[in-house]
Amino acid sequence: MEHMSTGVNSVINLPDSFSPALEKVKPALVMVRDGRRGSGAGVIWRREGWIITNQHVIGSHRRMQIHLANGKVLEGQVVARHPQVDLALLRLPAGEYPSAWIGDSHALRVGELVLAAGHPWGEPGFLTLGIISALSQAVDRQGRPLIPIIRSDARLAPGNSGGPLFNVLGAVVGINTLIIGGDQGVAIPSQVAEDFVQQALAELPVAAARGNGKG
Amino acid sequence: MAEQETNRLMALSDGMANAVEQAAGYTVLVNGRERLPSSGVAYSSDMILTADHALEREDEIQIILPDGSELSAQVAGRDPGTDLAVLRTEKTGLLPATRVEQPARVGQLVLAVGRPTSEGIQASLGVVSAVAGPVRTWRGGLLENYLRTDAIPYPGFSGGPLINVSGEMVGINTSGLSRGSSVAIPVGIAWGVAANLAEHGSLKRGYLGIRSQLVELSPEMQAALGRHQASGLLVIGVESASPASQGGLLVGDILVGLNGEAVAEHEELLARLAGEVVGKAAQIEVVRGGKPQVFTVNVGELPQQTPRRGGRRWRR
Repeated sequence: MEHMSTGVNSVINLPDSFSPALEKVKPALVMVRDGRRGSGAGVIWRREGWIITNQHVIGSHRRMQIHLANGKVLEGQVVARHPQVDLALLRLPAGEYPSAWIGDSHALRVGELVLAAGHPWGEPGFLTLGIISALSQAVDRQGRPLIPIIRSDARLAPGNSGGPLFNVLGAVVGINTLIIGGDQGVAIPSQVAEDFVQQALAELPVAAARGNGKG
Repeated sequence: MAEQETNRLMALSDGMANAVEQAAGYTVLVNGRERLPSSGVAYSSDMILTADHALEREDEIQIILPDGSELSAQVAGRDPGTDLAVLRTEKTGLLPATRVEQPARVGQLVLAVGRPTSEGIQASLGVVSAVAGPVRTWRGGLLENYLRTDAIPYPGFSGGPLINVSGEMVGINTSGLSRGSSVAIPVGIAWGVAANLAEHGSLKRGYLGIRSQLVELSPEMQAALGRHQASGLLVIGVESASPASQGGLLVGDILVGLNGEAVAEHEELLARLAGEVVGKAAQIEVVRGGKPQVFTVNVGELPQQTPRRGGRRWRR
């Protein structure tokens, strides 16, 4: 007795481009700069102008330059940080922005195709392809489970930090973070980022939390 | 239009996740060394095929099955030359790996799969980068061919399967055969070695009793053979009372084939003299006086060498 053969045998006329997925994500992909040295990436998480990036991209800054996909440069104010899971939330000036389509990271499977977009080595909007390589757990120094993490074999470099990991439909399933607790090439699941955003917005003073609607 | 296209890509993506899931059903964790565990594949209901170099002990080897259950295993046979080992354990309830029928092709999409942790299956994507061989490995074995891939060999992937996008096993991954990089042993070769290891505990190597030297075959010889074959092995010495001498081979013969397959290099002869052929009558094709002739030779067995690694002798 042998295993049933499943897989992609039924797929015909396969397109050779992942550009539709990138087109979906691109408007929400930003570059996050401190005005001097390096830059990272970020994702417009809510259309009211809430941006997710990595805490290590922000450092101790309170404000960052946000380069939007349309070429505009705006100031982003850091409103919440979560150093332990390396996430930070920034706020753009009041307005309406193209936010990302947030996918369900709980539904991810090892072997699924994913794409990473960011600005590795300062190269804006660079796209890399890979698969979900592992779904595991980051642990803290005491070895206690911290958060679920995604490992992908898509190539990442500094400048991908804070940028989106997304599926072939263009749904963002993770935030590329490079290094968490000794694991390299990892992403924080979109659900962890979403929980962080919801908690951060809930803790903000009412006036500051203007526009806390689901994007 | 664009939506239709992305749906097809989603089908590919789902298909690959299905393929990994299928391979996950026959891929186990093998804990046989101090550091990182390695991977293995179900060879039969009570045997696991894995990478030899990742076994640093012969007993107290632990297997973790896809469902998380732990079993202990013993080495049933190992061949450092091809870096393969067979472990025997109690009934695992696993189905043996599904194997591809067709030979691997350069450019084919493949996934390297491993189970180096108990947290779940791991995989990386790439293509078959090269199909090469025959080669003599630095550990003294001979592989008729081997595969290279650009799929990332994550730590602990040795012994795990290289699969196609339908979940069928194309080869077994190992980083133990070429220093600093990973290769895959084609599944057909791996299964052949495993069958020998399961039965005899080590890979039998055949012995003819000749010394030979690579020579070019003239166009006339190739015409007489009826095939294009650039080279053969000129017999320059025949040991007395050896299988070759008893079979009638003479100094001056050019050995060109064994059991119906061409032999154009030393590596090919050695690769074809390993395993099942040992102890059996083989048809040796030679060119003598410009004409092809076939002799029947009873292939002898080379005494097993004691493999060494890091100065330590393995118990047998």
